[in-house]
Amino acid sequence: MRKLRRLIRQASAAPLYQRKFDVLRDDASSSLKAFVRETPTTTLEELIAEKLVTGDPYSSRWATDHAPLVVFQLEYGTETSLYVGLGPDELKGYAEALRRCWSLVGLGSGDRVGIFDYGTSPVSYLASSAFTPYLRRGAADALGCLVTCNDGEANMSQRAVEIIKYVRPRILFLRSDCLHPFALEVEKDSLSLSDYIDALVTAENEAVLSTAERVAYEKRLAVPIYRMLRVDAAMFLAVECPRCRLLHSWQDLFLVEAPAGGSEEGGKRNPAPLVITNWFAKSCPAIRYVSQVKATLEPAGCPRGPKDLRIAT
Amino acid sequence: MKPELDRSYPDAMDTWPVAKLRRDQLHKLRRVLKHAHRGLSFYRERYDKAKIEADAVRNFEDFARLPTFTKRDVLDAIREKKSFRTGMESGAGTDMGVLCMTSGTLGTSFLYLPRRWAEIRGNSLARAYWWAGLRPGMRMLMAAPAWHSLAVQETRVIHRLGVTCVVPWGTFLPRHAGSFLAAITEVKPDFVSIFLPMLYALLAECRRRNLRPADAFQSVQNVLVVGAPMTPLSRAKLREDLGVKDLFEGLGNPEGLTAMECSHHRGHHIFIDCCYVEIIDPGSGAPLAAGKRGNVIVTSLIPHGSVYIRYDTEDLGEILPGLCPCGKTWPLLEVYDRRANAVEVARKEIFPYDVRLCLDKVPELIHIPFALLRGRRAAEVLKLKVQQPMGGGALEILENQLKAQIKETLGLEARIEWTEELPERWKGVAVIDEDNGGRARV
Ligand SMILES: [Zn+2]
Ligand SMILES: [Zn+2]
Repeated sequence: MRKLRRLIRQASAAPLYQRKFDVLRDDASSSLKAFVRETPTTTLEELIAEKLVTGDPYSSRWATDHAPLVVFQLEYGTETSLYVGLGPDELKGYAEALRRCWSLVGLGSGDRVGIFDYGTSPVSYLASSAFTPYLRRGAADALGCLVTCNDGEANMSQRAVEIIKYVRPRILFLRSDCLHPFALEVEKDSLSLSDYIDALVTAENEAVLSTAERVAYEKRLAVPIYRMLRVDAAMFLAVECPRCRLLHSWQDLFLVEAPAGGSEEGGKRNPAPLVITNWFAKSCPAIRYVSQVKATLEPAGCPRGPKDLRIAT
Repeated sequence: MKPELDRSYPDAMDTWPVAKLRRDQLHKLRRVLKHAHRGLSFYRERYDKAKIEADAVRNFEDFARLPTFTKRDVLDAIREKKSFRTGMESGAGTDMGVLCMTSGTLGTSFLYLPRRWAEIRGNSLARAYWWAGLRPGMRMLMAAPAWHSLAVQETRVIHRLGVTCVVPWGTFLPRHAGSFLAAITEVKPDFVSIFLPMLYALLAECRRRNLRPADAFQSVQNVLVVGAPMTPLSRAKLREDLGVKDLFEGLGNPEGLTAMECSHHRGHHIFIDCCYVEIIDPGSGAPLAAGKRGNVIVTSLIPHGSVYIRYDTEDLGEILPGLCPCGKTWPLLEVYDRRANAVEVARKEIFPYDVRLCLDKVPELIHIPFALLRGRRAAEVLKLKVQQPMGGGALEILENQLKAQIKETLGLEARIEWTEELPERWKGVAVIDEDNGGRARV
């Protein structure tokens, strides 16, 4: 539990967490169970309120004396903007999470990858060291892929189709809200998508495409669609596994809880908001952040990643 | 990764004697030419067809006889090969790198930019940002449109100069002005790098919020603007409104051009460490001397990734005669507009920049977006769409003032159509073709 103690100690330097940890009993860091039981959660509303009261862009979450190397404004559409600051640890850990997402959907050395999203989305900015200052190794660098990034505007669909035709990426990552305009453009072009790409991966912040929509678009576009979940305030990523069709994430990077997961209703557990603690975000910690995504935690054991966390949305 | 704080910057290359610079350029030109002739099929096929030996190019005059090509040729090659690989790039897929894109109404072309390219071009660009006042330890506002090669270069600039950065959500379109403005007022960058139409959108956002632009930009010392030319009046007004020390205009394209103003604002110094620029007569292809306007031809001197040699940008520009009072020996370039933006009115060739100068003389219309309307046939009257300035008011008076300015400056009658909003484009909208269903050119 040294990892836990270290995280609590580091996070205590940030005013937001200092207040929360003041009430902690000594045994809070003795085990994960005690940590979960004792440590108060952090909500989006709390981050907004803290930002409005203090004016601190990081909602009093910044925990070191050094200025962040890179500050990203987050995609929340809330009444006030939220930000995360990234230092070397955050850049490294976050990009590693994206690399694992890429690996899980089958990307490897020599593959080409397309991204239909804003450059300011972690799906894009963690992809290559060419896109983000001080990022030593993006997902493409680590895996040996060649990546190209469109913008995230719906009216860039035509250019996304040009990427499909002329770059032939193995996988196209795209924002969920670009899926519809992209599908229209594919149809307008009479493009047989499966002749060009293996799969689409949709991504959005604190939400995932519904299963009904996924199935409908898979039928319409005749390619598999996997879903990726971003929780940007916690620098969290998870992606749908092509094998078990559950979201995979990684316990060395994140502690994930779905607290109501134990309650049963007709043999089925009720989904509850995912609560995320980030192990690598030391300068801008995310501790027990309550996301907007309701899910259940499933037992590990997928052949594609036997130890991976598995999440059903 | 630690910022490279220890590097003293810039070096003395920008004050080298002209003869030394020319020698250095010729050496790099011949090196890139050899690289292209040996390894890049796009050039080899063209040069072989024209019976040109790369080794036989011994001076600038020989070089000026090589064929030029345009974006259309690149797009044809993409369509013919059904691939982003046009034969202009080395190592695509083997070296670490990314593919960036260009935008435009003609279509998308791709540039393969390996790490080595980003280092060389980014290190070169760091000098431009240094001239504009960016210093180690500062925080810079960087919009990260990862499809654009400027993002790849700025990533390197930030690392090279040891600065930190803030990235607002979204992209360079007016609808994202709110998030850009929030990032500036809340994270307080010292330095802002931005596309000009987006800067105008920020000013409009300030007006909507009843916020003085100078208050919003309180933390900002200098602004580096790209994407569209500022007129002298609009620069002065921007500096006053934003309350910044200075605004610098950069010129560039992903294919190879970097040119940047110094604090004298007498034109844009060509970054001859990375690019070679010629001006040619668009009809005959003959080289034009300094002081003569023609098409801007660019050659990238970086023998990595996608290589552009004698690329006709189809921009109208000139190399300005004489030396800059700043003491830098790098030649000065001025680019007036895209050739494709020319509109013929009453047997005159009019460019959006000419009309911007007229709008600038009506105080309420400074920074207000507008577009020229172009019909299939040459018109007798200059037609333009102008976005209504906020606060509404006496449009009739403004219209009469603008018409009078156009008459006086350009000698033309004008028909003005007021509109609430113009189509959103990165670089603003310069010309709208009426027979194209009113679709805007980029
Ligand atoms: Zn699985
Ligand atoms: Zn100068």
